[in-house]
Amino acid sequence: MPLTLQYHCSCLSSKPTPPPPHLPSSAYNFHPLHTLFFCEECDAVRCNHCVMVEVSGYYCPNCLFEVPSASVRAEKNRCARNCFLCPNCRNTLSVVPSDPPDTGDIRLSAIPVSAVGEPPFFLYCNHCRWDSAEVGITFEKPTGLAAQLQKFEDSAPESLEFERLKEHFEPFLRASSSSSPAHHPTASSHHVHTNPITAAASSAISRDVSGVAKYNPLARSRVGKDKSANKDEMPEYRSRVEIGSTSGLGGGGDVDVEFVKHLEDVSEVANLEQRWVNSWASSPRASDLKPLRIPLLSKKTKRCPTCRHILIKPEQKAQSVRYKIKLVAANYLPAIAVAVPQPSSTEVAKRSTVRSSGGGAEADKGPEGMLAGKTYPFHLSFTNPLYDPIQVRLSVQRAQYQASGEAPAPEKARRPPFAVSLPISAFPIAAFAEAWEYEDDEDMFGVEDDEMGDADVRSRDREGRSKTKTVGVLEKRANVTIVGGEVVIGKEAKGDVKFNMLVSYTYRSDDPGIDETEGTPSRTASKGPVMKTFSFYTVVDLGPIIPKEEPRPDPDL
Amino acid sequence: MPPIRDKFTIHSKAVVCQDVELKGDITIGSGSIVHPKATIFAIAGPIVIGSNNIIEESAIIVNRRKEVMRIGDDNLFEIGCRIESPSIGSFNTLSTRCRVHHTVRLSSFCIIGAGVLLVPSTDQTLDEYTVVYGHSGGVGTHLADSLVGEGAGAGGAGQGQGGAAVAIETRTWSGRGKIQEADLRRKHAEYLREMLPKFNRLRRGDGM
Repeated sequence: MPLTLQYHCSCLSSKPTPPPPHLPSSAYNFHPLHTLFFCEECDAVRCNHCVMVEVSGYYCPNCLFEVPSASVRAEKNRCARNCFLCPNCRNTLSVVPSDPPDTGDIRLSAIPVSAVGEPPFFLYCNHCRWDSAEVGITFEKPTGLAAQLQKFEDSAPESLEFERLKEHFEPFLRASSSSSPAHHPTASSHHVHTNPITAAASSAISRDVSGVAKYNPLARSRVGKDKSANKDEMPEYRSRVEIGSTSGLGGGGDVDVEFVKHLEDVSEVANLEQRWVNSWASSPRASDLKPLRIPLLSKKTKRCPTCRHILIKPEQKAQSVRYKIKLVAANYLPAIAVAVPQPSSTEVAKRSTVRSSGGGAEADKGPEGMLAGKTYPFHLSFTNPLYDPIQVRLSVQRAQYQASGEAPAPEKARRPPFAVSLPISAFPIAAFAEAWEYEDDEDMFGVEDDEMGDADVRSRDREGRSKTKTVGVLEKRANVTIVGGEVVIGKEAKGDVKFNMLVSYTYRSDDPGIDETEGTPSRTASKGPVMKTFSFYTVVDLGPIIPKEEPRPDPDL
Repeated sequence: MPPIRDKFTIHSKAVVCQDVELKGDITIGSGSIVHPKATIFAIAGPIVIGSNNIIEESAIIVNRRKEVMRIGDDNLFEIGCRIESPSIGSFNTLSTRCRVHHTVRLSSFCIIGAGVLLVPSTDQTLDEYTVVYGHSGGVGTHLADSLVGEGAGAGGAGQGQGGAAVAIETRTWSGRGKIQEADLRRKHAEYLREMLPKFNRLRRGDGM
């Protein structure tokens, strides 16, 4: 299991401290850094759970056409141009012309190398080689396919049923005040209230007055509505087709049963994956699968929930993946990576080994996890994204632990199965700058902030052998500082090594602060750069603990 | 094991680049194109490659059996594929990074999709116009034995056994568009025959 370090977002809760990490439900509050945002106004971390999301535009993933939001509704969230999905493998279909007619005596090698292909055109999937001619859909022109298929789709039984349902409910929806004002306009509606005030007013007017028959000029005789009926009563809806006649279309019934009885091969039945895209029952036959229009995707704008500041704003063009506004946490919080170096690599005091094992989360561990009863050093590498140097301070949060139910005594159950030691004092991380601006300081190893180092470690040769000191600053390179810590695993420990860590960092902010009165130059100069501190919680996961094997009685005996 | 004796018979119209690793008894027919960095190993038995084939970079064609490995005409071996099938027909497409085991025999017009590991444990012959597609769960996963139905026009959904996350599916292509595809293949080969010698050194066979 790889080592992870995730950041805590409190999601506007009143408690700033994160939940204990060994509980499975607390994984909801922890996120990897690349999924987090940072609001500058509130000075807080925001995650995908707490941001406000708005749609900023719709586009088709295939043709990358930006669809205006008015057409989105009209086209039922699908692409209106030539974009279709293969019903077999859900790959994109392409429009191809048919082969020239095969007169039988033309050998394939004798065809001249020139443009071949002629109408009729059909849809063809390059991945699974399904083509629409198998279901009988061909086109005369290679463009405007959606229009050519429109009449086909409109005559499908489910859309006719839906139209009838809409017409049935239309008068009730207009009359009741609880309907949303922007309900979809049907062709026959004349008073779609776009204003909630006028909608409330009209419903007040159309409320029943006792003793007076209700006058409704919009009675639909087709459904046979009673004129004096209470508007909450609805006549029975008679569907367009009998339910039993949907039998051949997957609604169950004899026709479907006959089909299943006479199946010869399982491939004749359409897959679940091919059929559940529709929200209605569709024919179970694989030969009835039709090409689907590609659903539109949306580009979203994300806002901070408290101050409504925009955190993420994508560009308007569908093909551009950049953002106009991009306030991601990675630009404000230091990126932390955790690694556990192998004992074998500590013998080799090469700088390259130090870099490679400390720089990233290397999953190169001999046994999966850590053995109970042993002590493991681990590295945390901090990358500073700011243009100013920062001072970082770490502290481990103590958590209450409960044993898994076989606790021998209550007081023992409260003790965490491992102990983590980290450097206590603050350590600096250099500012972010371009690669060529860094001095050549590869030989510099941080030797201060050595709180937990042993005495014999201090007496050892410091130059070159950085691995001998496990707790404290190990390396400072460019804008990355690698800090070592240690975890001691108890003998009876079980479960995962996960602990919450509070990271606070102090940075210089050049913001002089808001001043209501325009002070004299001397006063504004005295504000100067301010040291600001920001802290956040993280959870460090060092992997599972391999428990010590207990001597078990031999079951064979 | 007897030492592998190299014997390359390359047609004069074939385009075989210098940087190709050839080993064993190999015959390459007229018009075939072998890109640089391809590998053709006739370790235990000879390999006979027909005409107008296109063998792209990093393709590996290996024959570990004593019998002759026959490859027909107009096939396309895309980048990174690994073929050990003892018999391949014509107009097949073996897509990028696919693997075909020595137990499978391909007929004509078959298409093995990209990344597909076609490694059944029993001998099989793929019918004409078979399309195999999907994605395997990971390196080294194996398909179940029940890959292809024997009847014409039948395709089966092959699912992995046990815990392997395999989603390889097989179906039969209707053959529509095969003339255009053949035409495209021919144009592809023609273009390569014209362009590759301009930028790569060619290897000539010993003894034609």
